[in-house]
Amino acid sequence: MTSFLQFNNLSLAFSGKKIIAGLSGRFISGKLNLVVGRAGSGKSSLLLAIAGFHKECQGEILDDQGRFTAAGNISLAFQNPESLFFNPTVGDEIEFALRMRALPENEITDRSRDWLAKWGLPPEVYYSKHPLELSGGEKRRVALAACSVFLPRVIMLDEPLAGLDFKGQRSLADMLAVIASDHVVIVVTHEPEIFLTDDTNILLLSEANGTWFSGSEFLRRSLEHEDFYPLPAWYRQAVGPFIKHAALPAVNASSVADFLQKVR
Amino acid sequence: MILLDRVSYRYNEKQETSFKLKEVSFSCRKGLINGVIGANGSGKSTIARLIAGLIQPRSGSVTVDGLAAFNNGAGARFLAGIIFQTPENQIVGTTVAEDIAFGLENLGVPRPEMRQRVYNIAEKFELNDMLDVPVHCLSGGQKQMLCVASVMVMEPSWLIFDEPTSHLDPWTRKIFWKKIRGLVAAEKTGVLVVSQLPDDMAHFEQIFAFESGELVFSGSKNELKEKAEQLPWFNLPEAWRLEKLLGTKK
Amino acid sequence: MLTGYQPGTGLLYRLNPLVKGFSALVLILFFSLNRFGAMQMSGALAGVLLIALISRLPVVDIILSIKRIAFLLLIVALVQGFRGNGFEWLFAAEGIVRILGVFLVAGFYLATSPQAELMHFWEVVFRPLKFFRLPARELALVMVIAVRFLPVMLSEIDRIRMAQIARGAKIGTGGWLSSAASLMPLMIPTISQALIRAEELAEAMEARGYRVSAERTRYHQFGFALQDVFAAVGAAGVFIATVLSFF
Repeated sequence: MTSFLQFNNLSLAFSGKKIIAGLSGRFISGKLNLVVGRAGSGKSSLLLAIAGFHKECQGEILDDQGRFTAAGNISLAFQNPESLFFNPTVGDEIEFALRMRALPENEITDRSRDWLAKWGLPPEVYYSKHPLELSGGEKRRVALAACSVFLPRVIMLDEPLAGLDFKGQRSLADMLAVIASDHVVIVVTHEPEIFLTDDTNILLLSEANGTWFSGSEFLRRSLEHEDFYPLPAWYRQAVGPFIKHAALPAVNASSVADFLQKVR
Repeated sequence: MILLDRVSYRYNEKQETSFKLKEVSFSCRKGLINGVIGANGSGKSTIARLIAGLIQPRSGSVTVDGLAAFNNGAGARFLAGIIFQTPENQIVGTTVAEDIAFGLENLGVPRPEMRQRVYNIAEKFELNDMLDVPVHCLSGGQKQMLCVASVMVMEPSWLIFDEPTSHLDPWTRKIFWKKIRGLVAAEKTGVLVVSQLPDDMAHFEQIFAFESGELVFSGSKNELKEKAEQLPWFNLPEAWRLEKLLGTKK
Repeated sequence: MLTGYQPGTGLLYRLNPLVKGFSALVLILFFSLNRFGAMQMSGALAGVLLIALISRLPVVDIILSIKRIAFLLLIVALVQGFRGNGFEWLFAAEGIVRILGVFLVAGFYLATSPQAELMHFWEVVFRPLKFFRLPARELALVMVIAVRFLPVMLSEIDRIRMAQIARGAKIGTGGWLSSAASLMPLMIPTISQALIRAEELAEAMEARGYRVSAERTRYHQFGFALQDVFAAVGAAGVFIATVLSFF
């Protein structure tokens, strides 16, 4: 069952000034949804509007059951979500959200352990550790898991990879793609390269307008116009000549090498 | 020139003797983009702080232009300035002018000279019509420019950047590297960038690679490309990986 | 609404910050302590308003901001009014004028003084503390930094609050006396972020040559001109008048 989040003519303003005007479209589960744009384009404001925190908001936000209500249905993680830690163990941190929902005790622990495992951190090892003992990548996963343990339909992340090292970014990006199969995962990022596959659903915000792209369309447009999005020079050089191809490769060496093999 | 001669460093607080750096020696010249790479805990941040004179080596010597780095700022001669990762946590003054002037006040520069230097550097960094703007009104990119201006106004011989690009968007990153190349080409200020991002590595001309407190590689970009297999723990830039993959498949 | 510094070029803006600060203090003392009646004080208040008008301050905005202390004024009017036997309008009026005087003088002072001037004033005020081995300029710098980071910290607390509420924390509900436990998700992250910020800032300051209690030159410079002489004389006059009102 695909769940979705739909916008009908959504407009957001900040102190009277319009940031987003008349946005319509959908974020869906099954694909990773990205919100891309330069600083100040309204990306974070959109997340706040979905979460119900943005006051100057007009238009409709719907889901597969009608009008969307944020309470209990969203998880919101800003940059550096590990700054939200306040418990002595990883287990306590994950369980907090379920505890606040007054679930039965044994259910809390079981669900928390399962969810932590799903984020790639075996509970046997991590459950009783102090959150600040962990590495950067591990802390990030614990923080994201803690924000979403109650399995909300919509999981929103603002720059989830910021500050991680290369390996950490790669594995977290893969993890998010897996989680996206059962939830509507929305990632705000000014650097979509690592997430881009043919299958990604991208909303580009620019000058109060929103345009929707698939992964390949986004890559194609970036190759056509350098100002649209600055793809790395090596990708431009290698893939540029094959811009007309239907399915452009992801922005990493192995995908590009395979692609070049196929087209030659 | 920066010179490290058999430098070791360790923290006192740790129970076990954990060496952050073990007998490291290398030198950096101006006119090239020097890069220090390594994972977290490899010692690269310690190197940056030693050169900036924030910490003192346990043994060996760290000198900048022949003078001990630890005396940085004494006697109005500013050897090496360092710019950290988060611009917000480096801005002291309430307005742009005040923050730029902070370093000059610390160096004891007389007021008339201070005013002139603040104005000149603001012009260079396109901040000259924002001198009285409160710092919280600046955008992220402007804050980073302010951080660089506030250190450059002190006329350091060397400029060290600690993970400068991790929070920048791709457009600002391009502009950043363009400015760095300009700075290096002028050969007046030396540049050393500490980073663990593979894509930054592609910009470095002279590379110093660290692993667990030891210098495991020191040489040019091309030399690193050749030796890459022997250093499997380093994430190479995608551009280099592609070169390799295409090379092998030919 | 009067909330702080409003840039401008009128008379009050051109005063030396020390003269301005001490004059404001003297006026506040006057309104608080003097033994003149409501009539004389209203005259003084009118004088203050006149100076503000001449300095091209947004006087209408400032007067509108009196709304904020309306409740306080009501209480004061009642307390003062019943001072003698039964209710006397004159006493109530006196109370109101005093409070208004203090409020408006403080408001005009803050409206015409940018950060740098306020800090210079505080630094001079702290100087006597040198006798107790407390470093005046450093204390003033601490205040500058606190004020500079205030907007940053406020928006950070807001973000933490929103993220924790999305997670299910119950912050802000549960009445005026929320239990300590429910504030943990807000307080602990705020404090730990503040500590990290402080550490990074200290390192950045050191990296730019800052050494505590070292001799530092000054970027800001404040002049002393004819209007300062008049202001100083005026303030001295008000001070003497205040003292004389006791006899």
